[in-house]
Amino acid sequence: MAAPLPPDLVAIMARGVSVIVASRDAALRPSLMRAVGSRVEADGGDITVYLSRPQSRQLVQDLAATGHIAVVFSVPSTHRSVQLKASRVEMRNADADDAAVLARYLASMEHEVQQVGFAPPLTRAMLAHRLDDVVAVRFTPEQAFDQTPGPRAGTAIGSTR
Amino acid sequence: MSGPTLQDIRCCFEGIIPATVATCSAEGVPNVAYISQVFYADERHVALSFQFFNKTRQNILANPYATALVLDPGTAQFYRLSIRYHRTETSGPLFEGMRAQLAGIASHSGMQDVFKLLGSDVYEVERIEALEGEPLPAPPARAGLLGAVRRASERLARCTSLDETLNAVLASLNDHLGIRHAMVLMLDPAAQRLYTVASCGYPTSGVGSEIGVGQGVIGVAARERTPVRIGHMTNAALYTQAMRSSFGANVPDFEAVAEIPYPGLAQPHSQLAAPIQNGGRMLGVLFVESTQELQFSYEDEDALVAIAGHLGAAIELMQAATEASESAAAVPAAPHAATPAALAPLVVKHFAANDSIFLGDTYLIKGVAGAILWKLLRDHSQLGRTEFSNRELRLDPALKLPDICDNLEARLLLLQRRLAEQGGALRMEKTGRGRFRLVLHRPVELVAL
Repeated sequence: MAAPLPPDLVAIMARGVSVIVASRDAALRPSLMRAVGSRVEADGGDITVYLSRPQSRQLVQDLAATGHIAVVFSVPSTHRSVQLKASRVEMRNADADDAAVLARYLASMEHEVQQVGFAPPLTRAMLAHRLDDVVAVRFTPEQAFDQTPGPRAGTAIGSTR
Repeated sequence: MSGPTLQDIRCCFEGIIPATVATCSAEGVPNVAYISQVFYADERHVALSFQFFNKTRQNILANPYATALVLDPGTAQFYRLSIRYHRTETSGPLFEGMRAQLAGIASHSGMQDVFKLLGSDVYEVERIEALEGEPLPAPPARAGLLGAVRRASERLARCTSLDETLNAVLASLNDHLGIRHAMVLMLDPAAQRLYTVASCGYPTSGVGSEIGVGQGVIGVAARERTPVRIGHMTNAALYTQAMRSSFGANVPDFEAVAEIPYPGLAQPHSQLAAPIQNGGRMLGVLFVESTQELQFSYEDEDALVAIAGHLGAAIELMQAATEASESAAAVPAAPHAATPAALAPLVVKHFAANDSIFLGDTYLIKGVAGAILWKLLRDHSQLGRTEFSNRELRLDPALKLPDICDNLEARLLLLQRRLAEQGGALRMEKTGRGRFRLVLHRPVELVAL
């Protein structure tokens, strides 16, 4: 269990910013995809990321087989970024209850991406998915790293070492 | 290999939407990070910008397999690249090309103090996967770039002099590629400087203005012999083409007046420089720029490099043809000059320290071109000559022209254009291959300093 994340960072993650998910296979080959949504609960202690299965077959397979996950949350306009890691995930198919979460995420991302000069149609195409094809991946972060470009990039958040 | 090639997806590598890369440690812990720049290196390799000693860096040194995710910024089509780390380059054409492009990306994203290229991490691309999705319709392909290159090539092939060749290149860029601001610079290999011989789209021609090799986008393209392309305005000092004095400290008095200002845009938002080469030798740089962001794509770079290649061959052909006719033609007898005597004489000053020439108080030219003009004027005043040949200039030990690759044609053209811009009291006219005439519309008074 990671040290608690700073509240301002949790707020940024919770409002819906860019989310990229990675794992790896038994041969240590990495896999990755952009998430089509995210949900942040319990002050950042309970994270769900949503993947479109047709775009993420290898990633979904690797997550199921190894449980290893790395996720970066990033604000497009400021590059403020945090990476979370865990070695256990729970996976399920998204259902009707998730539709509202995904819609809220899309609305936030349309705004975020517009800040860097791209109109909403591009964001909608980038995050397009069918609810039937979406996998929800839930995990509790075990480690968190500041990943904002600069001298502090890579520093563990809450680490006393 | 089925599916897209690296060539097909070059539009994803403009740094408009940052790419992401996943790696894995030897212990099996995955890592994911944003990467400012994925650079098209060749048909089978990409280079990723190495800017920080971070986890990605540690991982690839231990386990070379990585996966990169890129997005077509026009359609939102995703591509996933399975890549394998090979090596890191910290100098040379690839590194410098990336460093220049990254400076533009950094300024654009407000990260100019943070984004600095430490190395170009070169990866072999093992697989490219076009991901399922609902991409936007692709904008219509830019028709006719190949046709534009063809028409430029045809125009160049019709030229019979360097003057015509340079005009044809600039006109072709304007007419067929929609490029409004362009210039051609020739390399002075001994001085390691580039001097402007032709330009279009600027308030002043800037013919004769100089740039050091390695200075700015143009100078880096010349030093590294590689195209350099920046899609955003950059504040990075290295890539601003602001001119510095080329005069030595030994002649401080006229430093301020003896500069031909660089003609280019003060704040270019897109810049592209292609080296002009032939027979393995660096001849100069073809440079274009725009007030618009992201004006020049990889395809424009392809077109400009192809045109610069043709231009290089044409320049050398003009030089060779001139030399061939020089050796065939005897130096004609010098008819006596008839100089109008009614006008007050024009004072022409020559500073031996750097061969700079002033017409009255106006700076004209320096260096080899200055030395040539001084010889012509002295021969005119002492011997009454008006007809000259390239051959005699080449043989004149006082001019110290290098034996080969002296770019004499380019220097004479530069001189001719500078004289024409200064009101035409003195003019040079071509009278045949390798021959020209000095025309004086006013008597001159020569002052050696």
